[in-house]
Amino acid sequence: MERRVVITGASAITPIGATPQNIWDSLLHGRSGVKSIKDDPLLGKHLRSRVFGTVTDELVYDFERHYRKTMGPVSYYACQVAKKALEQAGLEEKFVNSGKMGVAFGSTHGSPSVQRSIYEKFFKGGDNKLKGIGGADYLKSMVHTTAANVARMFGITGRIISSCTACTTSAQSIGYGFESVKFGMQDAMLCGGADEYDTTTVAVFDNLLACSTSFNDTPEKTPRPFDTKRDGLVVAEGAGAVVLEEFEHAKARGAVILGEVLGFACGNNGDSLIMPDAVGIERTIRAGLLSAGIGPEQVDLVTAHATGTKLGDATEAMATAAIYGKKPWVIGLKGYMGHSMGSCGVIETICSLMMMEHSTVVPTLNLENIDPRCDGIKHPMEIVNTEIKTAAVQNFAFGGVNTCLLLQGPD
Amino acid sequence: MLEKKEIEKAILRILNDQFEISNPGMDDDLREKHKFDSIDGIELLAEVEELLGFEINQEVKKEALEIRTVRQIVDWVEKVQSEHS
Repeated sequence: MERRVVITGASAITPIGATPQNIWDSLLHGRSGVKSIKDDPLLGKHLRSRVFGTVTDELVYDFERHYRKTMGPVSYYACQVAKKALEQAGLEEKFVNSGKMGVAFGSTHGSPSVQRSIYEKFFKGGDNKLKGIGGADYLKSMVHTTAANVARMFGITGRIISSCTACTTSAQSIGYGFESVKFGMQDAMLCGGADEYDTTTVAVFDNLLACSTSFNDTPEKTPRPFDTKRDGLVVAEGAGAVVLEEFEHAKARGAVILGEVLGFACGNNGDSLIMPDAVGIERTIRAGLLSAGIGPEQVDLVTAHATGTKLGDATEAMATAAIYGKKPWVIGLKGYMGHSMGSCGVIETICSLMMMEHSTVVPTLNLENIDPRCDGIKHPMEIVNTEIKTAAVQNFAFGGVNTCLLLQGPD
Repeated sequence: MLEKKEIEKAILRILNDQFEISNPGMDDDLREKHKFDSIDGIELLAEVEELLGFEINQEVKKEALEIRTVRQIVDWVEKVQSEHS
């Protein structure tokens, strides 16, 4: 059984906006969501990178305590975007609760802020190190907290998948959700990812010399995908969710179709857990195209992972050029909002749908001078009005994980 | 030592402030009527320890997990306090 899988709901909370209109306005007007990092008594003075992709929209914490009590900030994010995506999809509650719909949702490592509060109690001494740890703290912090809370909040009773593969987390959520519907295991899947404001992630990348440090006084100038002056990634927070639905089911109920997932591939480099690998990336892109049943000449837009690191961007550009040449536009959306880790794949998917809807490719923010090593692909340096029928979303993660999603715009 | 009325007042305050359960009936089934589950029970036990000013033995705490109403909570807290003294 192979079925078509369409997108009938989408929502994102990002450093450049938390509504479709605000996000699109930021993209059109080149507004960055990167700000100076907030004060942090634990790590603040040790971090060399002083920038962060920061969500500035005030979140409404309007869920009943019955639901809230098991949520850390990351699950608030997840449930907020899930709520809006479900509202847009307009699926009946009876269907959502029927077991025919599942959840694929993840984050990099659950809720680091809750984990920090637990470990503070462990390390601060005293006779009873368990005192003060709440009954719900594990549920708030666990690695699958987003998926579990989303399922509970909306009474979704089908399969539950919670990828935690760092930067490919939500691309995998969409990919595994797509496969669940395509092959008939579910009729719909709520898919996405979230990551909260977290300086420990900055510390991890900072320690590996992978963070941007040269633009601490001008945060909006970094990250700089594919640019000669790029100096590393910028950690960000955010969340995104999409509702995937079997095409005939969506059509029968008259749902508005935002796009279609044509294919998905996930591969591993089988080598270094950190170094980017052009061969592994190429293999994954080719597998994605095969899954979608299309050739590279049919792809109009590639949303690259493009974190703004020296080696990562060059490797991705070379691998992408080897498959596509200079035919499709290749954009690095992290120039606008930084790297929102577990949520970047779904946010970049939603932004790609917007570009398809508006027949517009926005430029890669902060790309001023193309690094010669990244020159084998076609970069949008200004707004381009053009029809985009098919888009690819590429994401790569520590652990040697590569993903590629193939999307089609609405008819 | 807290009087029974003081215990009742404190428990109702905790339920209101920490659990967003306002003016429950003394014999309401907290689980059925207010979605008060075992996680809430663990959180309430921590509050009760704060209230009484001493740590409650794990075995004694396990007895409390069967409790369903405010009246039973108040009676149990009074008993624990009395046994401790």
